[in-house]
Amino acid sequence: MNKKNPVAKWPLLFTGFGLVMVCFSLSRFGSMVVTAQNSLTTSESRGKQIYTQGTSPSGKDVFAYLGDPSLELPGSAMPCANCHGLDGHGKPEGGVSPTNLAWEVLTKPYGVTHPNGRSHPPYTERALELAITCGTDPGGNKLLNVMPRYALSVQDLADLVAYLKVVGKDLDPGISERNIVLGTAGPTKGRLADISQASRAVTAAFFDELNSQGGIYDRRFEVKFLETAETPAATRAAMDRWLKDGEIFALSGVVMAGFEKDLLPLIANREVPLIGPLTLYPETGTPLNRQVFYLLSGVEGQARAFVEFAASKAELKNQSIAVVFTQGESSSKLLQAISEENKRAGFGKPRAFDYLAGQFDAASTARQLKTANSNLVFFLSGGKDVLSFLAEAVKIDWYPSIFIVGASSEIFGAPLAFSEKIFLSFPTSPADQSPEGVREFSALAEKYKLPKEHLAAQLSAFSSAKILTEAIRRVGKDLSREKLIQALEGLYEYQTGLTPAITYGPNRHIGAMGAYIIKVDLKEKQFVPAAGWISVN
Amino acid sequence: MVGSTLREKSMKGLSIVLAWGLMCAWAPVGSLPSTLAQSRQKAARKDLRYSCPMHPDVISSKRGKCPRCGMTLRTVSRAPISGPTPIPAIRDTEDSLSFSSSQIPDSKVLDQNGKSLNFYSDLIKGKTVAINFIFTTCTTICPPLTATFRRVQQELGRTGQNVQLISVSVDSSVDTPERLRDFAAKFNAGPGWTFVTGEKAEIDRLLRALGVAVANKNDHTPMILIGNDVSGFWTRSYGLSSPATLIKTMTDVASHK
Repeated sequence: MNKKNPVAKWPLLFTGFGLVMVCFSLSRFGSMVVTAQNSLTTSESRGKQIYTQGTSPSGKDVFAYLGDPSLELPGSAMPCANCHGLDGHGKPEGGVSPTNLAWEVLTKPYGVTHPNGRSHPPYTERALELAITCGTDPGGNKLLNVMPRYALSVQDLADLVAYLKVVGKDLDPGISERNIVLGTAGPTKGRLADISQASRAVTAAFFDELNSQGGIYDRRFEVKFLETAETPAATRAAMDRWLKDGEIFALSGVVMAGFEKDLLPLIANREVPLIGPLTLYPETGTPLNRQVFYLLSGVEGQARAFVEFAASKAELKNQSIAVVFTQGESSSKLLQAISEENKRAGFGKPRAFDYLAGQFDAASTARQLKTANSNLVFFLSGGKDVLSFLAEAVKIDWYPSIFIVGASSEIFGAPLAFSEKIFLSFPTSPADQSPEGVREFSALAEKYKLPKEHLAAQLSAFSSAKILTEAIRRVGKDLSREKLIQALEGLYEYQTGLTPAITYGPNRHIGAMGAYIIKVDLKEKQFVPAAGWISVN
Repeated sequence: MVGSTLREKSMKGLSIVLAWGLMCAWAPVGSLPSTLAQSRQKAARKDLRYSCPMHPDVISSKRGKCPRCGMTLRTVSRAPISGPTPIPAIRDTEDSLSFSSSQIPDSKVLDQNGKSLNFYSDLIKGKTVAINFIFTTCTTICPPLTATFRRVQQELGRTGQNVQLISVSVDSSVDTPERLRDFAAKFNAGPGWTFVTGEKAEIDRLLRALGVAVANKNDHTPMILIGNDVSGFWTRSYGLSSPATLIKTMTDVASHK
């Protein structure tokens, strides 16, 4: 029967063609202009978007029709890459083995025989268009019912076919056979300029050193720097342009400088992985920003660790909790996180006291909290407000336990009566630094004359670069952004030598979730560990 | 054997079947299994279809040759097998009696809103249900499975059939209720469709009990378990069949006495 088979199919092929003419009228290829910085032509890169996301760069509709009678779905619900994979090789699942789309496989001169016995003559561009729009192969066979038929504009179809001829052969932006281009960013003016400068110097030094040791899999690193502007809008525009045109594979150690809300969605939109942004406010909501990987807990994770800590202490366990904070969007999110954690740890609903920044009425707040018997007070915003609150509390002879997320040495100015009643959280501590980690960093600092200041920012940049390179090593030579993200999500208890162990996962993009809790000894003016690492999930 | 664990209603169902088997065959209890098998075959015969081993889409109601390659058509069950690898669990639709409500554990699960539920008593008890198995990071078969389910839900809603849909995650360690909620929203899932996840051990036990546990989540089958808890009738269907086929099966199961 095998002998007869292909011959028997030829007439069907032509019937197939006839049918398809009715379905859609098709035209030939669009313009093929080779752009300078990308190996894909403009038509191919437009096709790539249709392939990976199921949407057209032209903004025209792409629809997928599934089954018969058909279900209409937006193309974005079933883009080609879902089943055939970003590399076009196909992702087998539940007994469905999507065809390998490599052009040389589809166009084998002697035709293709699939594992399920379906066989057909080699594909042509035209035949591929018919497969996409009408669901038939060049032999006139119907494709498997889970392969939708797509309705898209003539230009979009031509672009898609152009891309299908090179699918799996294009490298992600910023990668070439011998090079990987990374980016880092931060302000060069204002109060964060020095921190940003220090972070940038470490990133540059780290990759220079790595290059001097031969790079990774024969690829050298190039680090580009973007200066963030002073306004969110200008920064957003600059970043977008930079990521679009700059051929940046991934970002390492960016100093966010309050532009989180402006930059993070953009980075996700451009699909550029970002490792270790320096920020107090990591995004924790769902859906998760898949591109962004944080090192340490921000305010929220630390506040959660406080709740866990309080729950573990007999003397704090049955207290009622109050949360004092300045009004704002991030505060209300934090309050929600604390409430959740309270519920889990068995505390009641916390009392919330918010105020406008600069208008804190310490006396009245202290009185109200005393009356409410809230003997565990969280301060989400530290500084002078805490000190004036403590002074007022002493006046009414009330000594609650105070939790402050992050704090400076200002806290030593608190009334003596609060000694060992004030607790601070830190996302990392010197105890995390291993001798090897310290040696490695000191050697780099000496060799590249790194600044002496802003050590925390430097360690953060160093750890970010280390995590990024670890993930690049784990992926291997066949590197892509998607594989990098998967490798990062596979890191479990990775020791940077300078931070707590880093674990990421599909639902977890904060490497070290938790905090150290420190007690303030006001008599000796020193910080005393109150608990080791408290991990939260 | 399983008698002590059977719920009362299934017990009743089983005894009716036994009595029926006895009456039909006038046979002693010893030969019961073969009698049952015969009657099952008889019931299944009218659902028989013939298909080409090489061209699964060629389906005929009569014996004969494949119009494409000339091979002799083989018998297949009612649910057309259109996947490249035949899945044994799907093929034996006539083997519906091998599964009963009593095998469904009352596992503690979470729905897409994070609400804690008991799998049997909250989702199955007294209802007609269709259960499929998905995970939110599955990109090849879950979107068509879920889209098909959505269409089924719309059609059933239009005809006033009350079949509850359940999608159980086979990747409970990643699929949080939030992820399920996003997934449900993406496919526009309506009320009466519960997405289920939970503690990994609990969900794994549930999947084993439902006969769909796999070592690798990518091997999960596109099988749909359709059952009527009131009559105790359960069957399986291929989840990538057309919505019309599934609706017919579900309507049959719902009206099963």
